[in-house]
Amino acid sequence: MRRHSRRIFNVCYRFVGNRTEAEDISQEVFLRVYRTLGSYRSAHGGFATWMTSVTRNLLIDHYRRTKRDRQTDSLDDAMPVVENKESAGRRPDQQALLNELSGQVQAALTRLSPELREAVILRDLQQLEYAEIQQVLEVPEGTVKSRINRGRIELAKILQQMGVRPS
Amino acid sequence: MTWTCDQIEAQLSDYLEGLLQAPERATFEAHVESCAECAPLLASVRSVMSELQSMGEVEAPPRLVYSILDKTLGPRETVTGWQAFRKFLAGLGTAKFAYGTASVFATLFLVLTASGISLRKAKLADLQPVNVYRNADRRLHIAKANAVKYVSDLRVVYEIQSRLRQDQNDLQVAPEENAPKPTPEKQPGQNDDHTRVQPKQQNRANGLARQVELLAAEGPIVLERSFR
Repeated sequence: MRRHSRRIFNVCYRFVGNRTEAEDISQEVFLRVYRTLGSYRSAHGGFATWMTSVTRNLLIDHYRRTKRDRQTDSLDDAMPVVENKESAGRRPDQQALLNELSGQVQAALTRLSPELREAVILRDLQQLEYAEIQQVLEVPEGTVKSRINRGRIELAKILQQMGVRPS
Repeated sequence: MTWTCDQIEAQLSDYLEGLLQAPERATFEAHVESCAECAPLLASVRSVMSELQSMGEVEAPPRLVYSILDKTLGPRETVTGWQAFRKFLAGLGTAKFAYGTASVFATLFLVLTASGISLRKAKLADLQPVNVYRNADRRLHIAKANAVKYVSDLRVVYEIQSRLRQDQNDLQVAPEENAPKPTPEKQPGQNDDHTRVQPKQQNRANGLARQVELLAAEGPIVLERSFR
């Protein structure tokens, strides 16, 4: 329970970049899992993969609900606007977090499109195999590879635009 | 074979994850070495991958597990005031509480008895560890002495009983083997030499008397030995 909750919380936090929202979504994930436990079949993959699928669906739902408040879809046109807006309204604790490289990478991650973001999170942060990511995202393996590749390249570009040069 | 920059970009992750075959790898590296755009892109993507994979896990809030349990299984019941007091009283009437209380009293009784503390003449000094130890030690020695005495008494009684039983068996076997064959001519109480024969009852009585005398003589010795 504790292990799963920690993993799910991490996936949520990396996706939304906010602890409170990540906590709320994690609770929703467990509630959904608890209610739909009967629909779980081992043929669909491991239990952890199934939980990750539920998490991903809820994250996408959350993203759609809060889409108006976010402008992260199009990197090319939205990036400078988003950065300026967030710089103006940053709290001191958020600023302290951004001072660290991992905080900056996290900030860049939340600016990726949701499709690319989830692929990068599952591969590079959760260390899932391509086959597992394919099950979670329900897309062909070629699409998974393409999304991960594009996600990494866009993340590198965002960090460059932010003036961050990872070691 | 040469690749364009778009092809290089598409194969970037496969190259960094070591999924390209040797010829493709060579083509990729040949292009990157000579391309001013692809070389820095490769370096920055490599750095991003390294940074992502070195990012540690975020610690989940401690209350998260309890919040999840509350959401899935429902909030835990928390009663206050009279409800809590009434619940406490209801708990006192359960069989579980009765068993628990009885076992506590039984344990206390055993401990107090073993340590020699009398509830009628209870003194504060009895509760001192030294006194508790002395009383317990004294009780233990008395109990041991009583047990030894009891066993010794039993041994004496069993010895007497076994000897008496053995003597009775001897007396029952002896007359059958040594008794003279009766003849119709002979008068009872007379033998071939016409001397008087002592009655059998008299022989048995004499034998018992001898055994009792022997036991009386040995008894004190047996008792004395057993008490030692």
